[in-house]
Amino acid sequence: MLIFTLRRLSLFVFTLLLLTLLSFSLSFLFPGDQVTNISGQLNASPEHLEMVAAQYGKHESIFIQYWRYLTHLFQGDFGISMASQLPISEEVLNHLPATIELSSVALLIAMLVGIPIGFIAAIHHRKVTDNIILSFAMIGYSIPIFWLGLLAILIFSIQLGWLPSAGQISLVYEIEQRTGFQFFDILLSDSPYKWQAFQNASAHILLPACVVALAPATIFIRLARTAMLNVLETHYIKAAMAKGLNYRQIIFRHGIRNSLVGVIRDVGLQFANLVTLAMVTEVIFSWPGIGSWLIESIYQRDYTAIQGGLLALSSFIFIVHILTDFIYASLNPLAREVHHGSR
Amino acid sequence: MNLLDVRNLSIKLLTGEKAILAVDRVSLTMKEGEVRGLVGESGSGKSLLAQAIMGVLDDKWQVDADRFHWRGNDLMRLSPEERKSVIAKDVAMIFQEPMACLDPTTTIGEQLAEAVYSEEFTGFFWQKHQQRQLAAINLLHKVGIKNHQKCLKSYPHQLTDALCQRVMIAMALARKPLLLIADEPTAAMESTNQGQIFRLLASLNQLKNMSILLISHDLENVTHWTNTITVMYSGQFVEAGTTEQIFNCPYHPYTRALVDSSPKANMHIPVKSRLMTLPGSIPILQHLPIGCRLGPRCPKAQRACVKAPKVKNYHGHQVSCHYSLKDNY
Repeated sequence: MLIFTLRRLSLFVFTLLLLTLLSFSLSFLFPGDQVTNISGQLNASPEHLEMVAAQYGKHESIFIQYWRYLTHLFQGDFGISMASQLPISEEVLNHLPATIELSSVALLIAMLVGIPIGFIAAIHHRKVTDNIILSFAMIGYSIPIFWLGLLAILIFSIQLGWLPSAGQISLVYEIEQRTGFQFFDILLSDSPYKWQAFQNASAHILLPACVVALAPATIFIRLARTAMLNVLETHYIKAAMAKGLNYRQIIFRHGIRNSLVGVIRDVGLQFANLVTLAMVTEVIFSWPGIGSWLIESIYQRDYTAIQGGLLALSSFIFIVHILTDFIYASLNPLAREVHHGSR
Repeated sequence: MNLLDVRNLSIKLLTGEKAILAVDRVSLTMKEGEVRGLVGESGSGKSLLAQAIMGVLDDKWQVDADRFHWRGNDLMRLSPEERKSVIAKDVAMIFQEPMACLDPTTTIGEQLAEAVYSEEFTGFFWQKHQQRQLAAINLLHKVGIKNHQKCLKSYPHQLTDALCQRVMIAMALARKPLLLIADEPTAAMESTNQGQIFRLLASLNQLKNMSILLISHDLENVTHWTNTITVMYSGQFVEAGTTEQIFNCPYHPYTRALVDSSPKANMHIPVKSRLMTLPGSIPILQHLPIGCRLGPRCPKAQRACVKAPKVKNYHGHQVSCHYSLKDNY
């Protein structure tokens, strides 16, 4: 297990290095001066700009420049935003928690809904239930998310008035920022209206999270269905039947666990997709997350923000990817001890 | 009394256009305490027959039989679920590729424990867990695994094939079956391990009077361990009788060819001469010959062979051939 962990960590480090290389090269590829792009100093005096250029090693070789860039990153200095002239790290820390909240709630909903439905479809293979579920999954997958978000606001917020349509929490509640994560902040705060605030925040997150979750959930339905069908055809299911277990026991004791092994692997892959969807949804629901911030910076040609946001978002996705790898390993004893040459 | 009496069991594969008759009216009887070998080439429907008896075939297959008696009870009258529960209570099955028949994500201990018949336990549920563990350990001891702690904690991929097959046998023994169906239990195993598994099965047969239906493609190997043998070819019944009858004076040309192709029965033939084999290979399911399916390959085939022969019984030696070799001996 230790070797497994070390392997994942080394993979993490090297992928992050590659990402920094990409974002470093972006500063050359964007129009304008490279030092301005990398530091975000737009309105600096020539003397100040010269100082920044010296800091980033402008007059030295490209390797030294990259090294300087890396040391800046390790110090938490992503430059300043061209649009707001605030440090990027501060902006990212302000916006990323909201996105993490939204996407993890959406992932949770997608998994909790999609995987069991997929199993049900597999158990009723080639029957009416299966066909209904499959066609629902097909429709759900092909609905454009932008349109779905607007439709959800129209129906649930405006016509029915059940759920709020925008923002993270009602402005009535004053929550002191501690961790940046809305829900943790609410739970940590001493406000007497803590639980009302919690309810209000939950009502706010429900609609956007469901919109984000729909497409991944339909993918999980299909993944879970195929995984379960594959498991049901294996020899050990037949052997379990010959052992005298009934169908329910077989599904619960052997079917679910083994098919989850197959699904969890792909959850990590789907997460990148989910974050992309979340970025679009954040714009629709005015969610103060990193997605809407990043899209705004793209509109404003805020190159430092694009670089920093790219790094932050992709490392977040990668961390989730590694986490799912660990869950996979805990479910599948075969993955835990990979010996040399076996893969 | 016969333990198992199956008469004219047919298995159809339901495909798009036309159903394919994979097993064509095969009969099988088992006595108590008997070890019967079920022999045939790969693809002759032996495993299908065994799985049909166990009732674990999925709905792609349709099974019919004229008679299906288990210890004198007519199982044809029961619903499929009732039949399955009767069979699962007294019949156990072990498969080829034991590693693939154990759940890869569950420990051996858990899988053994769930096979244990819990109705025999007394007391409350927290006591039952203890009893379950004890029963699992006892089962492992019965099949000759002494290091039970390590075995219970390990996953199937951590054990060897032979150990996995022992675990499978232990699971099969959990319900104290009257009949054990062993579907090529030693396929892809080394010969020392093969011997161990067969000896274990033989001792179970002798000590517990458990009947065993031993399915194999290797006639020569099976003769060491069986009392009686049934031979199948391409889903049809060929010949049945005691091991001596089958091995020493086979009546059917196919059995004759099987015996002739085994090196041990032919020690007298000159060095470096060819062993007798039948030309051709077993027909595929889509192109089955009519009548006796051995027809195209049979050295004795004549015009009458386009009609399937009736089973003839000579003092318990049954053969299904128009031109049996009975008079040659």
